[in-house]
Amino acid sequence: MVNEELTPHIQELQRVLGDKIDEEQLEAELNKYLNEYHVNIDAAKRGIIRKYGDTDTSTFVTGNSLVKKVSELTGSEQNVDIIAKVVFVDEKTITAKGIPKKIVSGIIGDETGTVSFTVWEPGAIVLAKGSVYSFRNCYCKLWNDKVQVNLGNRGRIESAEGIKMDLPERQITAASSEIKIGNIKDGLGNVTVTGRVISVEKRQITARGEEKTVFSGIIADETGKIQFSAWNDFGIKEGESLCIKNAYIRSWKGIPQLNMGDRCEVSRVDAITDVVDTTNNKRTIEEIGRIGGGLDITVEGMVVDVRQGSGIIRRCPQCNRSMLNGACTTHGMVEGIMDLRLKVVIDDGTGAIGAIVNRDDTEKLTGVTLQAAQGLASIKGESVVGREITGKILMKRVSVTGNVMSDDYGPSMIVKSAEILNVDLEKEASALLDEVEASL
Amino acid sequence: MNARETAWRVFATELNSSTLEIKATEEKMPSYIVSPLGAKINRILITGVLTEKENVGSEEEPMWRGRIQDVSGSFFINVGKFQPEASAAIADIEAPCFVAAVGRVRSYTTDDGRTFITVRPEHIVKIDEKQRNEWILETAKSTWKRLKDTKRVLSMGDATEKDLVDAGMSPVEAFGITYALDNYGQMPDSALYLKTIQAALRMLLPDRNVDLGFPEDMSDEPDEIELPENGQQGNNAAQLEDMILDLLEELDTDGKGAPREELERRAEDMGISSIELEEVSNTLMDKGLVYEPNLRYLKRI
Repeated sequence: MVNEELTPHIQELQRVLGDKIDEEQLEAELNKYLNEYHVNIDAAKRGIIRKYGDTDTSTFVTGNSLVKKVSELTGSEQNVDIIAKVVFVDEKTITAKGIPKKIVSGIIGDETGTVSFTVWEPGAIVLAKGSVYSFRNCYCKLWNDKVQVNLGNRGRIESAEGIKMDLPERQITAASSEIKIGNIKDGLGNVTVTGRVISVEKRQITARGEEKTVFSGIIADETGKIQFSAWNDFGIKEGESLCIKNAYIRSWKGIPQLNMGDRCEVSRVDAITDVVDTTNNKRTIEEIGRIGGGLDITVEGMVVDVRQGSGIIRRCPQCNRSMLNGACTTHGMVEGIMDLRLKVVIDDGTGAIGAIVNRDDTEKLTGVTLQAAQGLASIKGESVVGREITGKILMKRVSVTGNVMSDDYGPSMIVKSAEILNVDLEKEASALLDEVEASL
Repeated sequence: MNARETAWRVFATELNSSTLEIKATEEKMPSYIVSPLGAKINRILITGVLTEKENVGSEEEPMWRGRIQDVSGSFFINVGKFQPEASAAIADIEAPCFVAAVGRVRSYTTDDGRTFITVRPEHIVKIDEKQRNEWILETAKSTWKRLKDTKRVLSMGDATEKDLVDAGMSPVEAFGITYALDNYGQMPDSALYLKTIQAALRMLLPDRNVDLGFPEDMSDEPDEIELPENGQQGNNAAQLEDMILDLLEELDTDGKGAPREELERRAEDMGISSIELEEVSNTLMDKGLVYEPNLRYLKRI
């Protein structure tokens, strides 16, 4: 491509990158991509923006953007324009790569619906609640199955004062439905639960720049227990039995939590004595699959698979995350700290759950200590350790307890305690025999 | 959701009497076999005695076939290059011994409409007798639950899947039972499964005189065999060997040998249980009088 033909592209890149790169350098870069490496022009532009632009956006320059209504957004848009009214807006300071950074986020909507948005590079324009704007070159992502609109360094916001827009009435969900705690799952709106307060604590938090007091703890009935957060002081005390009306469920990493907001009503009821043994919240994996997740759940089943990443691993000394091939994904080449862990799949015949077992419990379950594993690794290599450990645990029956969360690949548990299960064969077989005989 | 498929606990009788398949219609969609009691199986966990194994592939690219026998019958397993861990493991396991295996099921139907189910283990490991017994208990419980649920569904008349879920079944159970009852076109043979549970409980509770009212059916109860006393045993064994040799000759119509299924059926008619047949044919093989051209045939030399 000759230089004259490059000019429009260079101009386009300059618009995007501003003063991050001068024209001469830009031309040289573009030449390198196009003439040395024979990359096509679109890929070349993408690459250059990647290299010189801000890295906290995953957008690419792709032709013209589309205009979409809020309800048409799928969460996979790379470049989309939205004309919408600001329903709610707030400025936040976050820490990105150790540097404090201002962002603007809130909710925008049009006549088809509302969606949350984030402006990662707030410019001069100050968004006013109730005003209509044109949000240009946005990209969308899915978070918890909900679309989020993002404006990165290419995003632009233009006032669209001339446009009048009516938003749909906020839908008030139907009457509150009574539900057992064991049946609570993600996404439920308005619920009423009755249970006993197992624990409660008062915490000060800062939400949207405001000091707030929340009361959080655990409440249980005969089917399960759940973490609650009360945003007002209902005078909740440990041990009392409550009927909580108009609470809503929000999930954190797949673990449902009971939120008591402004519309929530709390009344004292007769003491509930029949609550789950909170030290023993045993579930089948099928039940967990239906609920999504929960706290301190116990599962009994068989180890049917041992995944990659079991055995000796190295953790990054800065972030404690496991490293891959001697490098941390965020901190690069670091001197890792040796650790031992298991990543297994446990199956109880009703479903399968992934479980990550820490060093102590890995040592307990397999009888292989980190020290012994290191010894073995120094003689025969670390892959042998993985095989050794796999051999010790595969097809063994275990009981594990921990917090469970779910994603697209099903539920998984961070194990807090684990043991090899001992089955009283004679007792259980006799019980089955009695049951079968009685029914014949 | 791409949640991992459950490893069902199902006895050989139930798996081998399954003829219903839900075939994948799209890429990445799993296939299932639905048992007469409504187990919707993609993956299965089996244990038992690995009675035989054979490399029908080559030295470089092994393809292992084997049989794992539980209290009720045998599972047929295939391990090839797509199951590298199981392939490496089975090479080191010598039959007979107790094993546990987890893998996916496959079915194939012959030209004359018979369905065979095989298991392709992802993992196979040697276990001890206690672990095997734990599996028997778990599988007996699970079989009993499906049997109970099936009976309950039959008593509920025209219950929909939703009715069943409302009545406390899981969505998978409700689907499986409804699908099985709708598509098998006949009631499951509850006697067969009760007999299997009886055999399981006898194994687990040798001191209790477990009797659920089913006849001592040798073919279903390989572990209940009482071998005759010393001298007599020799005679009997020799007689049995002759009977089997005759039978092999009779059934070898095309020179390929006697089909195992046919052989088992005929032997049973003559009062020889499958486990006795197994023992006798092993003896004959040891004596060099018969051999297995492949796993499904036995041929007189």
